[in-house]
Amino acid sequence: MATVNPIPDVPPPSERSGDGLLVLLAAMPQEQRESLLANLMASFPAEALLIASPDAISDALPENSYPSLRIVAAPASGISWTLTAADFVNASQLAEKNGARAILMLGRESSSLGVSALRDLANSVLTASTDLAIPCYDLPPHTGLVNSAILYPLTSALFASRVRFPLAVDLGLSLRMAERLAGAAQHFTRLNQGEAPLWPVNEATVAGFAIDQLEVGPHVQPNGPDLNTIFPLVTGALFSDIEAKAAFWQRFRPLPPALSTVPMPSAHTADAAADIAPMLQAFQLAYTNLQEIWSLVLPPNSLLGLKRIATADAATFRISDNLWARIVYDFLLAYRLRTINRGHLLGALIPLYLAWVASHINITTSGTNPESHIEAVVNAFEAEKTYLISRWRWPDRFNP
Amino acid sequence: MKKLASATDPLWYKDAVIYELHVRAFADSNDDGIGDFPGLLSRIDYLQNLGVTCIWLLPFFPSPLRDDGYDIANYVDVNPSYGTLKDFKLFLDAAHQRNMQVLIELVINHTSDQHPWFKAARLAPPGSPEREMYVWSKTNQLYKHANIIFTDTEKSNWTWDKTANAYYWHRFFSHQPDLNFDNPLVMEEVLKAMRFWLDMGVDALRLDAIPYLVERDGTSCENLPETHLVVKKIRATIDAEYANRLLLAEANESPADVRPYFGDDDECHMAFHFPLMPRIYMALRQEDRLPITEIMAQTPAIPDNCQWGLFLRNHDELTLALVTEDERDYMHIAYSNDPRMRINGGIRRRLAPLLDNNRRRIELLNSLLLSFPGTPILYYGDEIGMGDNIYLGDRNSVRTPMQWNSDRNAGFSKCDPARLYFPVIMDPIYGYQTINVEAQLSDQSSLLHWTRNMIALRKLFQVFGRGSQHFLNPENRKILAYLRDLERSDGSHETVLCVANLSRFAQPVSLDLADHKGAEPIEMLGYVSFPVITEAPYVLTLAPYSFLWLELQPQS
Repeated sequence: MATVNPIPDVPPPSERSGDGLLVLLAAMPQEQRESLLANLMASFPAEALLIASPDAISDALPENSYPSLRIVAAPASGISWTLTAADFVNASQLAEKNGARAILMLGRESSSLGVSALRDLANSVLTASTDLAIPCYDLPPHTGLVNSAILYPLTSALFASRVRFPLAVDLGLSLRMAERLAGAAQHFTRLNQGEAPLWPVNEATVAGFAIDQLEVGPHVQPNGPDLNTIFPLVTGALFSDIEAKAAFWQRFRPLPPALSTVPMPSAHTADAAADIAPMLQAFQLAYTNLQEIWSLVLPPNSLLGLKRIATADAATFRISDNLWARIVYDFLLAYRLRTINRGHLLGALIPLYLAWVASHINITTSGTNPESHIEAVVNAFEAEKTYLISRWRWPDRFNP
Repeated sequence: MKKLASATDPLWYKDAVIYELHVRAFADSNDDGIGDFPGLLSRIDYLQNLGVTCIWLLPFFPSPLRDDGYDIANYVDVNPSYGTLKDFKLFLDAAHQRNMQVLIELVINHTSDQHPWFKAARLAPPGSPEREMYVWSKTNQLYKHANIIFTDTEKSNWTWDKTANAYYWHRFFSHQPDLNFDNPLVMEEVLKAMRFWLDMGVDALRLDAIPYLVERDGTSCENLPETHLVVKKIRATIDAEYANRLLLAEANESPADVRPYFGDDDECHMAFHFPLMPRIYMALRQEDRLPITEIMAQTPAIPDNCQWGLFLRNHDELTLALVTEDERDYMHIAYSNDPRMRINGGIRRRLAPLLDNNRRRIELLNSLLLSFPGTPILYYGDEIGMGDNIYLGDRNSVRTPMQWNSDRNAGFSKCDPARLYFPVIMDPIYGYQTINVEAQLSDQSSLLHWTRNMIALRKLFQVFGRGSQHFLNPENRKILAYLRDLERSDGSHETVLCVANLSRFAQPVSLDLADHKGAEPIEMLGYVSFPVITEAPYVLTLAPYSFLWLELQPQS
């Protein structure tokens, strides 16, 4: 376990009250639920747990198997592939109502988490002075690349967190962290946007709360909607959160060095090359069709960089890390300025993302460790942070 | 249980950027030549994009409009020319949805002579509660030490009323009789009106002409202890029944006389800093920081939760009531050589014409507005550099329709131009064909974009709204330099060095920043690192009318 809290001088949470761990489960098939409950029982005494689930959970348990286990009903989440604002409101309310000491939120594929992973996540917020325990999943290469290309580098550079999976669906929360997230979530629920994703790492960092990142081993990624649906939703939510917290991340706060103790996904080497041809076709088509939009968003140097790679052949296709960082920053800025309709804007970023994926695959299949490349991307985002801040503060289009 | 407002932070006004507008002047939705609430609602996204966080509405109540609405005939309704109460509520909700607060006027010193209270008072027997809603006398010799404010139109503060067979007291126009706060019924009615709007969700109230509420013979009838009791009663009611609301005092007095209106944080949360404004213009014209530093030195400390309201221009004349006779003469010569530009001893011009439409001077003064300790208040149209019309009477020169585009009536209204409440500005420099929102939105280098960027930048740094100010005293007096500092909750500091060149020529300056040795100044607009501060004098060169905002960061 390693602490990645960038603000260590904030006092620890006050003494915890209550006597149990609230485990809030996502809706999941019965078989997975049984497996997960068995893992939980192996980790904690049943009387210390309060299970909240939208499913009829008692059906999943052999009769009288855990007589002291307390079970309560939880509202069903509207979507299943990520935690939403409504989930955090529910978690906080259930914890308060039942006098829980801490909360473990477990997503749909959490049955793939082992006993020790569950125990570590819970103990981090139960026994240590941690407010947010967040898992570091060990995923196969070429998995979760929206996270690797955008979410992880952006949150790392701007919130100085180094949390590898900022949108993790399994979390340990202290009570004050849950309250903070519920407070942030109310902004969305009031506007009937309860399905909006929240950014616990950003919230914890702004509040000066302690974050622990824990290695939890392999994990099955929940199936979500297709890229065209999920990409604007996730990037838009993160861009909005970054906009709302601009006064925070623009303060002097360097990225902490990559700690050797911070767990990272194991160094998988990329296996057989994925087919990048459709990605490059999408990029090249967009290069022809989306020039007008891209030229509203990107400065001449970036457009020139894209022009150069648009003609590259598949085998040598690369996007430099710095160019990618600037592209994402310029789209973030255009999102803030509402340069064009936000939906269209994020749609216009998808072909560029696909180009990055193609480049990433090329880089990793030529022998570079995927995690090393992703860390290089993070460093590029950190190096280009001044570019973002200067453009954010004075968004004149007459720039290099 | 206290009724909550739209803002969650009780000190929201400290970080606010206020935009002052008249509903009548902003946008006309029904083509009758008069702006209205549906029109304002249609333009609310413009205000959100500009970055303002609080909209200050000039009076919109039923009124004969002989003083631009400050002559109120009904405190709890909307002037039909501007819409209905429902329209106002729709606007209020839309503002709140955009995280903007709404500030309205509570004009309690006087009413219109058309208010039912005054009509009844004239007919009521002397000594009756109805009659005593106002200040009556058989003689016009009472309160002789009170000065006349509207010197260009009024000869006395008393006017004879034949029906009542008595004189009535009016500190402003004769058609605006003063309410009598010695009558408890007046306070009761004022609180009733106040609750009406606060219950609806209004976030803030500007207390108009607050020093004149109570009269006592042998005094100037200004800032009397009894007046402060009235303000305390209003504040106590708000504190008891509402949360996160704001009272803003309009007291055109010296800083020392305004200070009591904050009380011990038991009167107003905010008050305008009137004397600063003319001195900023004087300092600019004289190319000397002294007028500014002098008035700031005379400005007393205020309670922690209180705040100054700062402005460059507003709907009234640029008041010169608080400068010496020599200074007033200088200002008249410097800024209003045409007598039509003057009224009541002040200057009735807008920001851009006052500064000869010089973009760098406009930017410089705005940089002071946005970086001095207090909450900045922008006057509608100044963000695009609108001009004025000195051929309109009273202070209407600066109250012309907002210039949205180059279409008919500047996009303000589709009515026959002859129907407009005032003509739009049409001269070749400031005319709507040249100066309008649409053109400036499409021009990345426009004053509108500049203003928007500066507002956004200010909002990133809480130090501007909440920090202390410390003036540096470089030898070159054409340079105004000051440090803003805020200690954050974690003990760290947010420190900003502001340096402004008041001269039309480039100026060198050498600053003593030894106390900040080791800090790295970061130019805030472009996020550019400047040389690290040492014990040696810190030397800068500033272009004409330029300014620098430098955040002092720990050395990276």
